[in-house]
Amino acid sequence: MKFLKTVLVLLFVASFVLSACGGPAATEAVAEPAANEPAATDAPAATEAPVVDPNAPVSGGTVIIGTPQEPGMMNTLLTSSSIEDAVVSLFGEGLVSVNEKGEYVPVLAKELPTVSEDGLVVTWKLLEGVKWSDGSDFNCDDVRFTMEGALSDLSQVSASGYRDIETLECPDPYTVVATFGEVYAPYLRLFSYTVPDTAGALEDMETWDLNRNPVGTGPFILTEWEPGDHLTFSRNPLYREEGKPYLDSVIIKILPSREVGMQLLGTGEIHALWDLTEANFPELEQLSSQGVSFVSTVTGENELLSLNLGASDGTAPADPATAPHPILFDLSVRQAMQLAINKQQIVDTLLYGNVKAGNSAVPVGTFGCPQPVSEFSLEKANALLDEAGWVVGADGIREKDGVRMSLKIATTTGNQLREQTEQVLAEMLKAAGIELVIENVPSDVLFASWESDGMRDHGTYDLVMYTTGPSTDPDSHLYSSFHSSQIPTADNEGSGANFARYINADVDAWLDEAATITDTAKRKELYCQVVEQINTDLPRIYLYERLSIMGHRNEFHGLKISPTFVDFAWDSANWWMGQ
Amino acid sequence: MAIYFTRRVLQSLFTLIVISMILYGLISSVPGGFMSAYTERSDFTQEDLARIRAKFGLDDPIPVRYFKWLTAMLQGDMGNSFTTKRPVLQEIADRLPNTLLLMGIMLVTTLLVAIPLGIISAVKQYTWFDHIMTTVAFAGQSLPVFWFGLLLIIVFAVTLKGGNGKPLLPGSGMYTLGEPFSIADRIKHLILPVSMLTFVSAAGYMRYLRSSMLDVIHEDYVRTARAKGLKERLVIYRHALRNAIIPLVTLVALDLPSLFGGALFTETIFAWPGIGRLYFTAALKTDYPLVMAVLMIESALIIGSNLLVDFIYAALDPRIRLS
Repeated sequence: MKFLKTVLVLLFVASFVLSACGGPAATEAVAEPAANEPAATDAPAATEAPVVDPNAPVSGGTVIIGTPQEPGMMNTLLTSSSIEDAVVSLFGEGLVSVNEKGEYVPVLAKELPTVSEDGLVVTWKLLEGVKWSDGSDFNCDDVRFTMEGALSDLSQVSASGYRDIETLECPDPYTVVATFGEVYAPYLRLFSYTVPDTAGALEDMETWDLNRNPVGTGPFILTEWEPGDHLTFSRNPLYREEGKPYLDSVIIKILPSREVGMQLLGTGEIHALWDLTEANFPELEQLSSQGVSFVSTVTGENELLSLNLGASDGTAPADPATAPHPILFDLSVRQAMQLAINKQQIVDTLLYGNVKAGNSAVPVGTFGCPQPVSEFSLEKANALLDEAGWVVGADGIREKDGVRMSLKIATTTGNQLREQTEQVLAEMLKAAGIELVIENVPSDVLFASWESDGMRDHGTYDLVMYTTGPSTDPDSHLYSSFHSSQIPTADNEGSGANFARYINADVDAWLDEAATITDTAKRKELYCQVVEQINTDLPRIYLYERLSIMGHRNEFHGLKISPTFVDFAWDSANWWMGQ
Repeated sequence: MAIYFTRRVLQSLFTLIVISMILYGLISSVPGGFMSAYTERSDFTQEDLARIRAKFGLDDPIPVRYFKWLTAMLQGDMGNSFTTKRPVLQEIADRLPNTLLLMGIMLVTTLLVAIPLGIISAVKQYTWFDHIMTTVAFAGQSLPVFWFGLLLIIVFAVTLKGGNGKPLLPGSGMYTLGEPFSIADRIKHLILPVSMLTFVSAAGYMRYLRSSMLDVIHEDYVRTARAKGLKERLVIYRHALRNAIIPLVTLVALDLPSLFGGALFTETIFAWPGIGRLYFTAALKTDYPLVMAVLMIESALIIGSNLLVDFIYAALDPRIRLS
């Protein structure tokens, strides 16, 4: 028996060893073209040695960008993560994009779209002579196809705007005229990506060849994809701008974590590291002696406190007045809280002074409406609370009608910066006699949907701290955050993001009006009124402005981050490698 | 015999179905889920979210989704990945060679380290060598892999420098970007992950072999061999080891299916593009079809190998199938 068993086991081992022997050979075959590619492209860089001005862009070279996330899809219509959206921008372009200041810029269009007097007809003038990387012409048909793609049942992009287009006409190959059924205020953001009409049938979208072999008009084309390890993008020979891109290739390297990425950035194995946070500032400071710096852009998002005006017992009232929060429904309490929070101190101590204190729901961009930072005054805070009848108890915490001024605060677990911020907030508010009890939850729980009993949706919280903000156009953000119809309740199946359960008839009216006009100046005026009213009524307290941050080596020039989904890759044609 | 076979096969199939039910239930109950990639974006309206939910069949209640998945799987269709849209089996096949390379080498080095050390430890029981080895083995078994891996990276891929000022060993990936493929480069990338895996898993095998050696050494036939005047070397290697190693071989054989899954932590820490890392990223994105496929193949392999061992025991020893 022992003998037979041993034989069996040996057979088992042998079969394994054999299969393992097959393993390495197979990988080598796959790896070989991978390794040869960059070696070949390195050669011209070496021959172009004489450099005159160290600040003038030079051609050639390879940039390696590290990311802890892994892209799996190269079709804009089917992406499901921010790294995919960013990487797609190396080869994909839209009619418009958003620059590092949060402003719209034309890309495949000659200029930003024009809109008719009544706001219903939007016209784009396309660049002529642009070729897709497969050699076909870029024209109005591609734009139409992009719209059909976004509207298809299979698409994973937002169809807002596109579904309001009644007809899209091509009077000539380079003019796009869209007629809307009703005014679509944020029309500028439409067609920020394009898909070639040669892609295939819309119902086969999931099996299109370009999902893994993308076709684009941008500066680079995907030449190699080693799943789980890296993607190599090389110069697009059909790119419209002479002499660009400067770089021969861009490699997206998949890393295990940000921490490892920071080490590799220091040793020079990668040239840039995607998606850092404010918590990485100390480490970036340390790495500066090793030739590392960082670029950042204000995303327009804020780290903020959402204050629950409704009862936090799960009643989820449509109107908080019917079931008010025992502490936070009182405006003077909310005002006192903001007065007691020293935002600048949080910025200086926890964020090394690298960001601005939070002040506005829409701090930057075309519709930016920055406001003065709220005053910090402990005396005024205490005076307000005294006046409102909150009396300091024996333990230093205020009370009123048997209600102790103790609030629970929740944020995502495992985020050191947020945890430190909570502790600082707890100390600041304690000085005003308000107790903060920290009860953090995993991000999946904090952001859970209505169906998953999400605490924000059901209003089962006092304070939550998280980040949110408008993309370039604040329309949908302000509407879903502050319009009274956007309070999640059982009746509307939890739709909307008005988690504070904030109701203000003026704000409702301004937001309704802003959604029906296309005049940028007028819309901005309305949004600013909303922003000011929010700062008066305080359903949210803005703590600090969030940044989008990338670490990079000093020899890598031209990296600029856009606050929208195109992220770091939108201007990759102008990247270059110095010495 | 036939009845026993049928019974055991049916039992195993039943076990697999129960496993699939539990796994599917657990994975689908994870808060957040695939839709969380979209729900936090302000440009996505309820209409958009509803369309995407419908597209992925996430509107159905979990039991309905499970039966749809089970029906498709029984017909050999494990589904397409939510993120890459490709068949999950193709995603797995892409990564399998990388995992087999890493785990295969790891198995060989582990046995090369564990067997000699286990023997010496047993033969020289209670000597300083045995004490040191036992301590090291305990350390190896107790170290958290993710911590030990990061430690290795900091020491060998950051702090220590090679001749050219570059780090001594690469800390992540399977090959150096921008350099032509070479065996030497591949070996350099294998050193850290393989060392870590070997250190952690050799400890277990070594302690196992040591105790089974100790049992055998005190058997009568070993004493007889010594009494016959055989050389100590012959006694240990020809008489004792041959018997002591059999349980270890069974243990290794039963561990083999787990090689398929790769080493989750190791592959993740060292950015090794194998199945462990594939699974890890799929789990982060709650890519249900991919997560289920990896777990089910792994479960099937483990149950299958247990079944095989049972059959062979039964074939060899009739008492087992009667009881």
